Amino acid sequence: MERKNFLKSLLVGAASTSILVQACSKDDVSAAESSSTSTSTTGSASGSSGSCSVAPTETEGPFPTKSPASYVRSDIRDDRSGYKLTVNITIKNSNNSCSALSGALVDIWHCDAEGNYSEYGGSGMQSTNYQSVHFLRGRQTTNSAGLVTYTSIFPGWYSGRATHIHVHVYNAAGNSLKVTQIAFPEGTGTALAAVGGYKKGFSGYTYNASDNVFSDGYSLELATVTGNTTDGFVLNMSFSVPA
Amino acid sequence: MKKQIIKFCYRKMIDAQSAKPWEKMVYEDSYAEFRMQIQNYRQHTQYPSYGELTHYVPEAAQLSHRVAPAITGYVQQLNEVMPDILNNLGRRFMRFNHFQFEIINSHLNLKEKHQIAVNFYSVPFTWHDTIGNYLLLSFADENTGGEVATQLMQLQPFLSICSLQEDN
Repeated sequence: MERKNFLKSLLVGAASTSILVQACSKDDVSAAESSSTSTSTTGSASGSSGSCSVAPTETEGPFPTKSPASYVRSDIRDDRSGYKLTVNITIKNSNNSCSALSGALVDIWHCDAEGNYSEYGGSGMQSTNYQSVHFLRGRQTTNSAGLVTYTSIFPGWYSGRATHIHVHVYNAAGNSLKVTQIAFPEGTGTALAAVGGYKKGFSGYTYNASDNVFSDGYSLELATVTGNTTDGFVLNMSFSVPA
Repeated sequence: MKKQIIKFCYRKMIDAQSAKPWEKMVYEDSYAEFRMQIQNYRQHTQYPSYGELTHYVPEAAQLSHRVAPAITGYVQQLNEVMPDILNNLGRRFMRFNHFQFEIINSHLNLKEKHQIAVNFYSVPFTWHDTIGNYLLLSFADENTGGEVATQLMQLQPFLSICSLQEDN
């Protein structure tokens, strides 16, 4: 009986997302799976008695064209300022003699010069202006040499973590192959020292040896970073994933 | 009657039965992105359904925002005019400038469970009058006194008035 009422509430489109989500969690999604729900909430804006809508009488269209996710881009800077950083990541296949893995999807994301990440939209039911961006988040597909390249800025840092870049590698079908992070070399003469932690300096900085992600060993996650603050920096990283 | 400035919201539901090309592309690409993004949560193997995952891992509620960029390009192709909502002449007219993507249900391995909504938020309209079942509207930014082009529209399921302001 309770479920019946719940389904009814869906029919009138009154259920908020959170109610729906809780309800289907509780019932192991069976409530929302029922065929009556899926057919009655397809968004058809016609058919109910007493409120029949006019049929469209328009030139046929629109004709949508295939459009990639807005994550797909090489320059991920948007409005973020900082020292330019070119990120080159080469992906190899550990299941195939460490040969280059082409056609893999590589997501990267990192914080800005002040140590802030772009948020995933607003809180609650806040709507999104479609000009909004996901700064310092990007996706590229590896070429025949297994290489992806991004144009970004040198990441800043935030409390509790050493400077790092997140990487998630998927196969062409979108199945996760590896989630990892790139660590930066530390010490005199390194890019990290040249950037100087940006405005925050290094007071309170967490070095790789104390970082809760890297402290168990990070030699395989450590990138090579060259360059200077005038011309920008180049990061080179190579790792293998089981594909 | 006193003039009011109102904004509409339209919750466009899309599921495996949706048949129009735009809906199919949004469905396919949002599902592909959902599959990629859910794998950022280590509990995804234990809770492959969206409902269960967000119940047991509250931060997974971010998934709607994470998946939204997959459909941004399709929303842009609408050229700021809502789909499906017609005036009484049978034409699409309702301009929007905001949208919100919403995952209703989905599942890492069961594509047919994927059900989403695109919530469109309209530009401001002046609500001049109600004639029978119809609202007499004009674009608020065109309503500068004198003659103004109007739209006659019937409210319909999943279309709501989501904000109101007295026009002084």
